[in-house]
Amino acid sequence: MGRISGLVPSRFLTLLAHLVIVITLFWSRESNIQACLPLKFTPEEYEKQDNQLVAALCLTLGLFAVELAGFLSGVSMFNSTQSLLSIAAHCSASVALSFFIFERWECTTYWYIFAFCSAFPAVTETALFIAVFGLKKKPF
Amino acid sequence: MAPRDKRLSSTPLEILFFLNGWYYATYFLLELLIFLYKGLLLPYPTANLVLDVVMLLLYLGIEVIRLFFGTKGNLCQRKMPLGISVALTFPSAMMASYYLLLQTYVLRLEAIMNSILLFFCGSELLLEMLTLATFSSMDRI
Repeated sequence: MGRISGLVPSRFLTLLAHLVIVITLFWSRESNIQACLPLKFTPEEYEKQDNQLVAALCLTLGLFAVELAGFLSGVSMFNSTQSLLSIAAHCSASVALSFFIFERWECTTYWYIFAFCSAFPAVTETALFIAVFGLKKKPF
Repeated sequence: MAPRDKRLSSTPLEILFFLNGWYYATYFLLELLIFLYKGLLLPYPTANLVLDVVMLLLYLGIEVIRLFFGTKGNLCQRKMPLGISVALTFPSAMMASYYLLLQTYVLRLEAIMNSILLFFCGSELLLEMLTLATFSSMDRI
């Protein structure tokens, strides 16, 4: 228990770090969108890319809701495997997204970060939800 | 006092206090680094910088006392420490809104982090009220 209790706050803090960066990205996404457009672009092209990135960011927020719900309801709070997985994924997401903002990566790279660092832990979280509520397994 | 065998302490409230403590520690460190950044990069008047840093230290004190009394009151099922914690929620929320709205330079990062703190304050206030109500309703029986 003593070893697990360190995982709980660190998981929460990495989750929040990722969340903070994602919300910051909502404000400062212009330069990333310009990075994946040609030098001369029409407003329609910009609009299209912008909508894609906003959709990806909103999906990320939804997956955060899933993961925070699982964490706070106790489904996966003391599950050390899920905690370690989530810490690794969100920590790398925070680092990758800070590069994404500072280095103005192309907006399509966001989908890779999204798939590996946001969707993957959310899928395992959903599997835990099914295991706990559907199959009546013990949460830890 | 409530009977000894009845456990009235609120688990969600305890989880929130625990996570809020860790979050606040991170927030404090980050805020100190942000002040370093702002002091070096922006034309920050010394009086304002000192004011903001002193307010941050004051905020640390308020938050530590609030969380300490909140945890003790919740776990020991005492109304007085929990009441002190409820009373200290308001200055704590005031401080969060000061750093959210009124300080000299507000970075986006600070805006988000302070909103999260305000969210913590709000949900803790709600749960503390409910827990206080449970404690006092058990007293009369």
